[in-house]
Amino acid sequence: MKHRRHSFQQSLQQWLRREIGLWRIGALPGLLIILIVVIARFTGNLQSFETNLLDLFLRLRPSEPIDPRILIVGIDEQDIQTIGTYPIPDGTLAGLLRTLQRHDPAVIGLDLFRDLPVEPGHAAWVETLKQTPSLIGIQKVLADAGNRPIAPPRGLSPQQVGFADAIPDEDGNVRRSLLGLTDRQGVYQFSFTSRLAEKYLATRGITLENGLRDPVAMRFDRTELTRFTPNAGGYVHADANGNQILINFRRGRNPFRIVSLTDVMADNVPDDWIRDRIVLVGVTALSAKDMIPSNALKGRNPSVVYGVEIQAHAVSQIVSAVLDHRPLLNVWADTWEYFWIIGWGLLGISLGRMLRSPFKVLLLLGMTTLLLLASSFALLMGGWWVPVAPALLVLVLNGAGLTASLFYQHEQDLKAKLHDRQLMIDQAFDAIHNGPLQTLARTLRNLQAENRTTDPIYAELKQLNQELRSVYESMRREALSQDSSLQVSSDLELNLENPLHESLYEVFSHTLSRDFPHFKQLRLTLPTFEAIDDRRLSLEQKRGICRFLEEALCNAGKYAQGMTRLEVVCKQAGDRNIIRVTDNGSSDLQHQDKWAIATGGRGTEQAKVLARQLSGRFQRFPNTPQGMICELSWPIRRSWFKPLHFSANPTE
Amino acid sequence: MIGPKVEAGRQRILVVDDHEAVLGGTVSLLKQQYPDSDLLTAQTAKEAQQIVANTPLELVVMDLSIPEASGETARTETGINLLRTVMQKHPTLNIVVQSAYTKALVRLKPAINAHEGGFTIADKSLSLKEMLIRVDWALQGIVYTPREMRIGLELKPEWLEVLKLAFEQGLQDKTIAEKMNVAERTVRHYWTQVQDALEVYPETGKNIRIQTEMRAREEGLID
Repeated sequence: MKHRRHSFQQSLQQWLRREIGLWRIGALPGLLIILIVVIARFTGNLQSFETNLLDLFLRLRPSEPIDPRILIVGIDEQDIQTIGTYPIPDGTLAGLLRTLQRHDPAVIGLDLFRDLPVEPGHAAWVETLKQTPSLIGIQKVLADAGNRPIAPPRGLSPQQVGFADAIPDEDGNVRRSLLGLTDRQGVYQFSFTSRLAEKYLATRGITLENGLRDPVAMRFDRTELTRFTPNAGGYVHADANGNQILINFRRGRNPFRIVSLTDVMADNVPDDWIRDRIVLVGVTALSAKDMIPSNALKGRNPSVVYGVEIQAHAVSQIVSAVLDHRPLLNVWADTWEYFWIIGWGLLGISLGRMLRSPFKVLLLLGMTTLLLLASSFALLMGGWWVPVAPALLVLVLNGAGLTASLFYQHEQDLKAKLHDRQLMIDQAFDAIHNGPLQTLARTLRNLQAENRTTDPIYAELKQLNQELRSVYESMRREALSQDSSLQVSSDLELNLENPLHESLYEVFSHTLSRDFPHFKQLRLTLPTFEAIDDRRLSLEQKRGICRFLEEALCNAGKYAQGMTRLEVVCKQAGDRNIIRVTDNGSSDLQHQDKWAIATGGRGTEQAKVLARQLSGRFQRFPNTPQGMICELSWPIRRSWFKPLHFSANPTE
Repeated sequence: MIGPKVEAGRQRILVVDDHEAVLGGTVSLLKQQYPDSDLLTAQTAKEAQQIVANTPLELVVMDLSIPEASGETARTETGINLLRTVMQKHPTLNIVVQSAYTKALVRLKPAINAHEGGFTIADKSLSLKEMLIRVDWALQGIVYTPREMRIGLELKPEWLEVLKLAFEQGLQDKTIAEKMNVAERTVRHYWTQVQDALEVYPETGKNIRIQTEMRAREEGLID
């Protein structure tokens, strides 16, 4: 027992050492790919790939129910037509506010820049503002792309003003929401979004506080709004000024209720759509050009949504997170992200290590890719945006091509080394053969010439001659036992670089000298081995053909009862190559099935696979008057689209 | 290394061996036996190939373990390759192979069976007398391969047909050739091959055709 454990440990150690050796060589390019992808990500080259995948994943999520807390009053094309002027006059807006106020909403967000009076009705407008404490207006604080800051509507207290600035990504899409920032005067300003959320949540008794983990972050109750950092998720050196969070857009065809200004004025809106709700007033007319591209949402006009809708999503996600525990979009720390990427990369490399058959690698790669996508998607559903794109890259690149081929190549190298060793043994023998054996032969001949064959020394020299020759035989066998895949049967090694018909004859000659019951009565063999066109055959295919012949002969030897005559043909007939073994053994019907039974069908199966590889045909049928014919034939010109590689590794 | 000057009309023999001593021994033996022939020598496969290509020869006596070119190691593989090429290019050349390692020759068996010239194998430890017999057989166009190179009775189907046509129907070579649709020379080649397969070799005072018939009957090849 102890001994066995010891040897198990030893073999485990050997296996480990071999594996590490293989990995050192085979995995190097794979590790390089991981490194390149990591660097590419680190330098921001994968950002758009990652953010686009995020959009795709966000779009693919199942629909969420409508958010009843929010009502959008969209001033649409028809409203503008009805009113007949744009911007909407102050008087009309004042009327809208008063109508809304009658239903007592929790908070009204006016997503319209009203820094200048728009007559008629400005006086009434100023008056209405004073009487509407639940109103939040907007301003623009950042000076960007030639746009100057825009002041809030006059008459609102500072607490009733939030800025509406947005920071789009490089591709123009808005994926983040600003909560607050310090303006050029050094004053900390709250955004429209955070003002609305704060005001609404205040009606529920929840106040805005500083974060616990991050004092700069905002917090409502137990929901901390984790600040966006320049390298968060797939972003690299993003503009993370102020206090921003990622937007977890609400999925669904109609995430919010939208009514028109006319609807409200005509009292067509149910009371409970407004009462205690967040009412956002904005423009939903294409002509007003308050639109923002967002690939994360399927808009009417693909990927373009109105500004007020983005505001709705931003407010909704905060309120839903606090009250419903709907997940916000979070990212992992960079370290974990890179662990995740490298992990998938290593998995890709090990696919190439574990499997050699390209189809199996592809299948498993497909399954692993699916697993990556599924787990990433599930994580996103839980609010975690993980690096899908780089993980996908390293997994597919490593799994698919390079690694598998390199492991394969390395194995070929090992085979070549074995071959070299065989060569060395051959050379050693040649040295013995050229030196001592020649001298011996001469000496023996001289002794014969001198008629001294009765001399004991003659017998001893003859013995020595035999012994030296047997040394070679044993060396040869020793070398062959190291790697069975290089040989056909236990002690015949073929040099498959030789013409195929020569190798086949060697197989024939060798197999017939083996100890099979029905070779004993064999009285006549009729071999025809002619040169065949083997230029298009790979070594692996040649080996397969040699094995086929061996198998066919062995089966005749094992099952062809009473066989006295065996005909073996290897020749080119027309445009086909033919290998045929014909015996005249017992015509016992079961004889033909014995091969299949004895090999568990494997022999036949291998022959069929081989035939397929060669675009040829494998047949076994009864001989007349008795016996079996076993034939493999294939066309000399093969169609190009058949796989050239013979991946099955037939074993003895 | 090219031997004595080649004279027109004389029998030419090439001896291939990389051992100077063996080479010298074989050459002097052959010189004794065939005083009227020119003896050429080669110590590498390259030299041998050159001579075979440029000189009409009656016989090649060759060792299998030879180097490709001078300075290289002698290898059996090289001799096998040389033998294959020579048989391919000169199908009627008479050849004596000096080798004890007949296993390596098994793979050339299809080529030997197709070879139309004399072909004998002589182990170097054979006595001089026997060695000279093998050389003589090769010059007569006879085929001799040792029993180890055969698995029992091993015949090509054409040879069997020659036996049947000759001994069951009593046909002459010329008629057999017509029946089989081959040249008469090919039929003679089949005879030498089948005689080797049946292990029938010339013996003084014995008719080789009748010996062949007896052996064929013994083996049940003909009725």
